[in-house]
Amino acid sequence: MTTKRKSAKKTTAAKKKSPAKRSPRAAFAVATNEKKTTAERAKAFVEAPLAAIESDESLQATLAVLRDRSQPIKVRLAALQSLQAASFSVILFEPHREDYLATLREIADDPDPELRQRVLGILMREKDGYAQKQLLDGLQNPDKALVPPEKALQLLSYDVHADAYPVARAIVKEPPNPDAKREALRLLAADASSAPVFEKLMRDKDEDRDIRQISAAALQAVKPKRFQEQAREVLLDKKEHDDIQATALTALTQFGDEKAVAKDEELMKRVDELGKGKSAKVKKPAKQFLSRYGSEK
Amino acid sequence: MDVEIQINNSAAANARFVTWAPAPCRIRITNPSGAQGQGSPPMRISARTTANSGDVVFRSGTSGSFSSSLNLKVPVNGNWVTFFVAGKFGKPSTNAGDVRIEARHGNGNAVVGSTPCMVRIRKNANGLTPGERDRFIAAFAQLNNQGLGRFADFRDMHTSVSSPQAHGAPGFLPWHRAYLLDLERELQAIDPSVSMHYWRFDQASPNIFKREFLGESDNLGTVFFSATNPLQFWITDGVQGINRRPFFPTTSAPPGLRTEAQTIALGAAYPAFRTMEGNPHGSAHVSFGGSISSIPTAARDPLFFLLHCNVDRLWAKWQKQNNRFNPATTASFDANPPGGNAVGHNLPDTMWPWNGVTTPPRPPTAPGGTMAPSPIVTAPGLSPRVRDSLDYQGNVNSASALGFGYDDVPFS
Repeated sequence: MTTKRKSAKKTTAAKKKSPAKRSPRAAFAVATNEKKTTAERAKAFVEAPLAAIESDESLQATLAVLRDRSQPIKVRLAALQSLQAASFSVILFEPHREDYLATLREIADDPDPELRQRVLGILMREKDGYAQKQLLDGLQNPDKALVPPEKALQLLSYDVHADAYPVARAIVKEPPNPDAKREALRLLAADASSAPVFEKLMRDKDEDRDIRQISAAALQAVKPKRFQEQAREVLLDKKEHDDIQATALTALTQFGDEKAVAKDEELMKRVDELGKGKSAKVKKPAKQFLSRYGSEK
Repeated sequence: MDVEIQINNSAAANARFVTWAPAPCRIRITNPSGAQGQGSPPMRISARTTANSGDVVFRSGTSGSFSSSLNLKVPVNGNWVTFFVAGKFGKPSTNAGDVRIEARHGNGNAVVGSTPCMVRIRKNANGLTPGERDRFIAAFAQLNNQGLGRFADFRDMHTSVSSPQAHGAPGFLPWHRAYLLDLERELQAIDPSVSMHYWRFDQASPNIFKREFLGESDNLGTVFFSATNPLQFWITDGVQGINRRPFFPTTSAPPGLRTEAQTIALGAAYPAFRTMEGNPHGSAHVSFGGSISSIPTAARDPLFFLLHCNVDRLWAKWQKQNNRFNPATTASFDANPPGGNAVGHNLPDTMWPWNGVTTPPRPPTAPGGTMAPSPIVTAPGLSPRVRDSLDYQGNVNSASALGFGYDDVPFS
């Protein structure tokens, strides 16, 4: 009997605390109350995003939390997340957009790296010129960089600008780290003048496999005919890595030139072998390839 | 004797698809040998299924209960006889044609005619079979065609400039329903066995975030795919790949989102329910960093469409629970908010971009043209209105059915 009473009490207590039972306004009051714990405040911000834009007063209170470096970072990040979620309700958010973006620019150099990164990401997705300049400057002068080069390149990819290509090409040539090289290649995916670089990296067996796969996909996009020739060589090469062969097969199956592929007897014979081979990674795409072009059609 | 059976009154292979809603079918005798002199011999219609296939049920008219078989009299003169078929709730297909509708003469066992059929249903993406998953991503990759395909239109429909057409007002749910439907129909033009599927964001969905499906993110937010996944060739806006940084372990659900039960309990009238645009909709978007967390770039990530499919499923569940399919029912929509609705958010308004209108307050361009047609239904037409999104299963008017259904929302 006692046990039952205890569990009944627990249920009642849980119900009282349930976020679903709390009004958005009540949640917002908790979020902005500095006497509450960090966890309570962060949870309350995320719970009711539209409460932050219910009035100019609530927006200003949220922006104040976001700007205030003395506030716990978890609460500031939750305030940012709440405003981001509210920004999806465009018509309601529109009157507040300028204040919001101005605040983000103001805190783009915040000491907290996570907040900086998120803020720059939001600004870049809005194609913000200020953020773009900060990122490009950081790539050219690493001492001033707000984020690591790989992150800067990733964020610049939200608004590929002519200015970003020379920086990305330079990073591919002399990368500060492997991730930066990878992100620079992604950014260059539509740059036809980088095709020779993609081709070289795709065929370089000493390169990291992610880099080779990205280069293969980029070459396929900018020079599909050239990619098809290289993919053929990759498949005919018996010492080639499984992953790269699987990538080549998948590309040819999905996007290949049917006329050219289907009449290539040497290639068909080789893929037939791969389909019967030991590598599970290659077997499946080989069968898919043959079902489109070959004996299993 | 031979008979011909047509699903959706069409001989076309791409019309052999049904949902939970009744679809019109017809049968006729094409070779009456053995039945001469019988006038209209009896015919028994039933489904041949396997343990993992879909299943269907039948009825002879537009109303009444469904059953697993149906007896009809079919004239030997070759005239069509109409009946209705619907997916058996809880038994969706996994492959095209995995159910066979068969006709037998009288009480005989010999099949005198049959046709393959698929119960094509939107499912929880976390539970797809490898085959369903692979067909889905292959169709997506082909529609995008490395940034050069028709997908670019869907990318261009969901931008900062166009967002007031689709967000922050009552048309939010109807607009996105039409948007998903248009995309789904384009995917089905590539592979008719594909449906849109949903990311149930209030539940752990680890399978979605694997390299074989929508990819695995590293700490930077770069998404990685397996070497056999065609999404490795994903390009949007001239940039390769997808940026998505989950702020939660992908083996669990994002924290802080309203659950399905909490969302449906927001209220029985649409003005209360549509506050779900904030939480869980907006909250689900921002449970990640990367493209999906901002309106102008969200459509760069295929996950965006699975997120919205779940938003649409929640609306469908709410509609079912509260019987909110009829646009004429006040609580089905928010037709008269204080200050009125913006253009594009009223029930009779046509929706951009399918209406092609590019004069203010509409955006200056209308990417993608009209709504993709369907080989199985006629609604919502080439230029859908807001009201056309509500009766998606044809509960109020069978001609309003849009040709999709959810695995956990039955036909009313």
